[in-house]
Amino acid sequence: MLLPQFEYHEPQTLQEACELMAELGGKAKALAGGTDLLVNMKKKIVSPEHVVCVERLGEMKGIDVSDGAIRIGAAEKVAEIAKSEQVSSKLGALSLGAQNLGSPLVRNLATIAGNLGSARPAADLPPSLMAYGANVVLKKKDSDRLVKVEELFRGPGETVIEADELIHEILVPLPSGMYGAHYIKLGVRSALEISIVNVAAFVQLDGDGKHIQEARVVLGSVAPTPIRAPSAESVVKGESGSPALFEKGGEAAASDAKPIDDFRASAEYRRDMVAVLTRRALDKAYEVAVRS
Amino acid sequence: MKKLISLTVNGKVYEVAVKPNQTLVDFLRGELDLIGTKKGCEVGDCGSCTVLMDGRPVNSCLVLVVQANGRKIQTIEGLEGPQGLHPIQKAFVDKGAIQCGFCTPGMILTAKSLLENNPRPDREEIRKAISGNLCRCTGYQKIVDAIEAASQDMANQ
Repeated sequence: MLLPQFEYHEPQTLQEACELMAELGGKAKALAGGTDLLVNMKKKIVSPEHVVCVERLGEMKGIDVSDGAIRIGAAEKVAEIAKSEQVSSKLGALSLGAQNLGSPLVRNLATIAGNLGSARPAADLPPSLMAYGANVVLKKKDSDRLVKVEELFRGPGETVIEADELIHEILVPLPSGMYGAHYIKLGVRSALEISIVNVAAFVQLDGDGKHIQEARVVLGSVAPTPIRAPSAESVVKGESGSPALFEKGGEAAASDAKPIDDFRASAEYRRDMVAVLTRRALDKAYEVAVRS
Repeated sequence: MKKLISLTVNGKVYEVAVKPNQTLVDFLRGELDLIGTKKGCEVGDCGSCTVLMDGRPVNSCLVLVVQANGRKIQTIEGLEGPQGLHPIQKAFVDKGAIQCGFCTPGMILTAKSLLENNPRPDREEIRKAISGNLCRCTGYQKIVDAIEAASQDMANQ
């Protein structure tokens, strides 16, 4: 498969990259890992006149803890996120999302910003990021803005990112007290798979270490974008964790899901699986929280 | 407009002018005649195009050759040394892990990277490591056997 022709730019700094994006407007696409963009270009789904490579920008690298948040650079490889001890110990569900993305080969190229910017409903990183209440820093030439990951997606392949904006970094606030989260991906294969359903759950416990003070449940692959499951969240909030509670939470989540029939699964099956995966994710998230 | 880049392939430095829209796999096969790296799906789903880039196994069909500027690439041709086949190559032959051979270069390079990071993997870890390399012939069992045997062989050296 041949790639269409384009002009290639390799800015040396983030500011230079932003200036390029401002100048080129909607005619440019940012490239880092290429595991989404180059595939789409080969399939003639997209054919940008300009490609701006941001893969080596130092400002987009790094996984570090500062000011009570974990900061992950936009161009940080998914493989690094999957291996990071900071991420696995403090943001376990994000680590699981990263470990489940694509294949080991894909993970050595793919980046966190790519998995956000491509806005696929079944993407592996958005659910846990939303469950943790993460934010994205979008930068343009003269300004930047903070957008909640939850508010980033408009529909399949559509985000609120403007033509002259780049994802700079992802900021995940570190919760206080006892908390836990989990991510489950359901597919036919255990690698190189696009989810049939994927679920992330986050719980934060009261001072007593039993009652759920805060809960966030995020469903992927069952709506045009990853979505919160507010019914499931209100079922479990304020309650003490138990198998019966998580079963109720699962059923409530199924009512929040808006799945479609497609070649991977029927809407009915997806709805049933939302209930099962939510129950399991809440159960495991609670277990992690209690142990934390 | 072509870009001037410098990359190292199997220990040899190449300074070349390349088109931005050329992939690494097409450069390796087309310009350097290194046809051990295969093209299967061309979209990162099969792993037959696997090469080691700065030691990490990647789908070379999804890397622009310009992105390999300043990097070290190892293809399957770079594995055999003056002493003969690499232990992993030898294990694949000895264990019958090769049928048509199309997945083999990618499998071996992925295995090399695995054993460099984890010299004594268990079978589950081996399976996970090669989960990006598809094989349509063998059913994977002998490939796992070969990587396991190679790890023992290399540990004994």
